[in-house]
Amino acid sequence: MGTTYIYKRDASRLFIALRENGKRYKIYIPKESKPVINGEELDIDFVEQEDFHYTFNWNGKRFHCELVSRDQNKAVIKVNGVEYKFSLESLFSYIRHGMIDKDGSQINENNIVSPMPGKIVDIFLSEGDLVNEGEPILSLEAMKMQNEISANCNGVIRKIRVQQGQSVMKDELLVEISSIDV
Amino acid sequence: MKQRLLIANRSEIAIRIIRSAHKLGMLAVVFQCDREPDALYLNYADEIIPARDAGNEKPIFLDPELIVNLALEHNIDLIHPGYGFLSENPDFAQLCVENGINFIGPSPELIREMGLKTVAKSMAIKAGLPLVPGSDGPVKDAEAAKAYADKIGYPVILKASAGGGGRGMRIVNKPETIERNFKSASDEALAAFGNGDMFIEKFLLNPKHLEFQIMGDKHGNVIHLGERECSLQRKHQKIMEEAPSASVTPNMRKEMGDMAVRFAKSIDYYSAGTIEFIMDEDGSYFFMEMNTRIQVEHPVTEMVTGVDLVDWQIRVALGEELTLKQEDIQINGWAIECRVNCEDPQNRFSPQTGFIDKIHFPQDENIRIESGVQNGSVVTPYFDSMIAKIIVHGKDRADVIQKTLAALYEFSLIGLKTTVPFCRTVLQHPEFVNATYTTRWVEHVFTSEMLENEEDEMIGALAATIMYASEYLQLSSDLPTYKNDSLNVWVLNKRLNY
Repeated sequence: MGTTYIYKRDASRLFIALRENGKRYKIYIPKESKPVINGEELDIDFVEQEDFHYTFNWNGKRFHCELVSRDQNKAVIKVNGVEYKFSLESLFSYIRHGMIDKDGSQINENNIVSPMPGKIVDIFLSEGDLVNEGEPILSLEAMKMQNEISANCNGVIRKIRVQQGQSVMKDELLVEISSIDV
Repeated sequence: MKQRLLIANRSEIAIRIIRSAHKLGMLAVVFQCDREPDALYLNYADEIIPARDAGNEKPIFLDPELIVNLALEHNIDLIHPGYGFLSENPDFAQLCVENGINFIGPSPELIREMGLKTVAKSMAIKAGLPLVPGSDGPVKDAEAAKAYADKIGYPVILKASAGGGGRGMRIVNKPETIERNFKSASDEALAAFGNGDMFIEKFLLNPKHLEFQIMGDKHGNVIHLGERECSLQRKHQKIMEEAPSASVTPNMRKEMGDMAVRFAKSIDYYSAGTIEFIMDEDGSYFFMEMNTRIQVEHPVTEMVTGVDLVDWQIRVALGEELTLKQEDIQINGWAIECRVNCEDPQNRFSPQTGFIDKIHFPQDENIRIESGVQNGSVVTPYFDSMIAKIIVHGKDRADVIQKTLAALYEFSLIGLKTTVPFCRTVLQHPEFVNATYTTRWVEHVFTSEMLENEEDEMIGALAATIMYASEYLQLSSDLPTYKNDSLNVWVLNKRLNY
């Protein structure tokens, strides 16, 4: 498990904030580190927090945020005196909506197939995990060599089609990932 | 025994006047208006007179008789009217004078004359001031207005003789609409000012608003303290002001300043006053009107000249001779004032009322704050939306723009929206930076999208997400702890469950 990956498995910590103007923010809130926004870990500090009011510090600037209103998954936030309206989705509901809404779908399915015949010796992640591009998902042994099969995008693992110890053919479907890179 | 100065006003200007009263060794007395019985200015006064005006149709600040009666009861020597309210009401000034109370301002006659724009203009013509082409006096009806407009060309502006603050005012772009506009403006003026007289003049498409501060005493001395540019307006009301103006050259300053002084002398003016000019794109300028009160934006002049205008207003009222000479007045650096109004710039500057949960002002030796509110203050619908002014001084225009922007980023107010983000947008706009902005800027250039920026939007998305996540993740009984030392975002969880 590489610790340099920014997404730390728990997909329930990834949210999508959408604005009416179409701007979209993928925001990941890890357990013990800085937030990741659109794939980048940013050095944003909490300065103050009170009731419905947060103050952040970033790049030497202050950002006063105030919750103005909430209606289900819609929130109006006042930042430095100016209001911005967002609708918020968990990654799962976002993917679900993406599936239903074929035209506006932002979620791509990325299938990982076996590059060669071999045997699955280890599976590092589980279905529902958030995975980083290049992060190993499973290990495939072929001709006495262990090959790590890595994610081809950032996303959430939808389906793992193989089990540990199973033999696979070349081009056999191993893992399905819902990409969050759009 | 100390002189007793009563302030017939509220909010920041009351506090400002109290400061001058104390400096001059006077007792400052204010009214406690039932419409805002816990206002901040009450804390600064030496004595508070309860107005008991709850059942009255208008607050005490608009009630000349009540003010004077209470003033007499409380042995008041002087009354300072501030700005707005009764500050330019000649009947109020007259009532003070008749009752032996020193009214801080010019004579009631002059207030009356300057308040009638057609009278003021004819006096300005006599003193040789240039005027925008227009009718010499009120036009008698809509037909006469149309005939006149056809002669000077469109667009034209119709104005109420007794008007102010944008009421009774119409801009007419084509002959077809002039009669309808004349009638509605005249009706509006009649309702608001009790006088439906209208005059008409050529309308300048992209003008700048300039004004000269003057100060005169009762011994015939008058000086000017340079100009202010107040071109940044919304709904015909100023929102940001600067002194000096980048559109006024030293030669023009002398020419216009001399003109302002000559005019004031020609009418035997005393006290603080403002001569307003409108400047066309080609640099030609015309007399607009004279204000006979202290202006909201007086601090920018104070900052660049070092002269305390309110002090002098009071001293002049006491009969003191103006010791300042014209050659003593030097313009030092540049100053900008931003009005903090509880208005929503994202929604056509609609007024905001309610509680100020928390307010924080920038602090620096270059910054002057004039505020009428504090944490917990209430912004009521009964009064003006302006709650404070942030005035910044710099060594030159570029410097003051940068310092003002920094100051505004430090300002925060939790609870209500203000014009501060608007002022930040203005300070960064090329037309303000290169000083070509005109009174049409808000109308023609400004859009509410200009208030937004990407950094704020992104941090807003983060804040919204954290609030949402705190609920969402609580459901899955797995509380994340995006922590920064002892601060834990998720304390909010309980409060968000409503």
